[in-house]
Amino acid sequence: MKQLITAVAGLPGVGKTDWIRQQFTQKPTLYFSPATRVGIDQTRLAAEFPSVQFLADDQQAQLWNLLASGVTAYLELGYHLDLAQIAPILDTRDCHRVAIVPARRQAADWEEWADEIVEGSSTATDATALWVANTTGHVIDPDSLEVFWDELTQGAYGTVSRAKGIFELADGLSVYGDFVAGRKPQFDELNLPRWLEGRPQRLSGIEVWGNQLDENAIAQTFQDCCLSDAAIRHYQQQVKEMLIEEAIT
Amino acid sequence: MKLAVMSCIHGNLPALNAVLADIAQQKADKIYCVGDLVGYGPYPNEVVERIRTLNIPTCAGCWDEDVVEGLNACDCSYPSLLAEKRGMAAHAWTNQEVTPETREFLAQLPHSLHEGNLCFVHGSPYSAHEYLLPEMDAFVAMERVLSTGADVLFCGHTHVPYVRSLDNGQLQIRITGPSVDSEQQLNFTAPFKQIVNVGSVGEPRHGRPNATYVLYDTETQQVALREVAYDYQKTCAAIVEKGLPPIFAWRLARGLEYAEKAEDPTHVCVR
Repeated sequence: MKQLITAVAGLPGVGKTDWIRQQFTQKPTLYFSPATRVGIDQTRLAAEFPSVQFLADDQQAQLWNLLASGVTAYLELGYHLDLAQIAPILDTRDCHRVAIVPARRQAADWEEWADEIVEGSSTATDATALWVANTTGHVIDPDSLEVFWDELTQGAYGTVSRAKGIFELADGLSVYGDFVAGRKPQFDELNLPRWLEGRPQRLSGIEVWGNQLDENAIAQTFQDCCLSDAAIRHYQQQVKEMLIEEAIT
Repeated sequence: MKLAVMSCIHGNLPALNAVLADIAQQKADKIYCVGDLVGYGPYPNEVVERIRTLNIPTCAGCWDEDVVEGLNACDCSYPSLLAEKRGMAAHAWTNQEVTPETREFLAQLPHSLHEGNLCFVHGSPYSAHEYLLPEMDAFVAMERVLSTGADVLFCGHTHVPYVRSLDNGQLQIRITGPSVDSEQQLNFTAPFKQIVNVGSVGEPRHGRPNATYVLYDTETQQVALREVAYDYQKTCAAIVEKGLPPIFAWRLARGLEYAEKAEDPTHVCVR
């Protein structure tokens, strides 16, 4: 019989969310990622799979109720979590453990924990520092974001092995920034409506894994990329006028 | 005569010294500088002093103008909010650092210099802030050179060196309008012209930290781009020590311009 819970673990950037995403294309279900200070992966998946149920950290009671009712769930376990601490909780459930392991690397570290080993991105590396920021309400200038992301991923603020973020842009659109060391950084537009009335009240944030991170410099540079209330109003007005014009023609 | 032309020193004294040494080795007869002695870098006064002592003919760069006149940005000045904030921080630092003598020297720099059929400007003949990008529309590029009356226009400002030949360009102008009886068509054959962008001594943007400048032979019209390695770590350390944003040092070491960049070749500066 197939287990109701699939717990997925692995190094930052190895492809945990992507693997879960592939499972969603076959069978929409429930997603929960415990102890994430900013639900970047959750927000990204929610934009792509509106039929999947997503629960926040404070909805754990609901999670157990749903599981009791037979809903299948994917639990994404961030690298910052101590898997040994979580094991007793998972042991009380009929849980299938999947470890995503970098391609061409020893899976020995995971063999004891995992029921199944899946090959992930070969470029995922270990990291000692995690910096997370909830940036909800901030709107970023796209040209500045490009410079900031280049500097961040090229090591201007410490060695970065993994970075991801959701950013609200001046044109009301929301983008997902994705970087794993050794791979080219990329941005993907999220399937969300344009936010054109004041500061966006939906989640945005950044998560950076690396070594010797200059957290203050990262935070300050991000802040320097963000638009003022007046600038946000100005751009939103421009976009609204453009959309009206497009609708007429 | 062998001319050395340089630009965009940006307060980087070690880079300037290395370029001057290379120029001496190349046995150039005369040196021209097309501006931006200050801005971003940690040695604005020292760079000005060196240029002044050596009596190098120099025209005003956009940064030199801004230090004298105050910031007065056009769209091309800052391509992003982050660039603008960094530019403002660098301007404030430089403005505080420069001595009255430096400011006085910068204030008397001419917009352009001429020698025979050569013209020297920082950005374009119209503005020290305008970028003459290699992709700029050929008609506009030709117009910019023709407006100087010269055959070869030397410029800087983009921090990426290039040579563009405008080879016997055919110009066609159609005139229509209420005051014109019928459409008039005028044809011109513009003579051979060249734009030579000399790159940047103190803040390269070609992916390497090396300083660049140009040698020009007035007899053969040959242009040689020189790339000079220097102890950029010394400048990087001074950037941090003197209280400029450390990101400037990080970008300098990688041959990335700190903040400004012009990506729109159709943009015409209105500053």
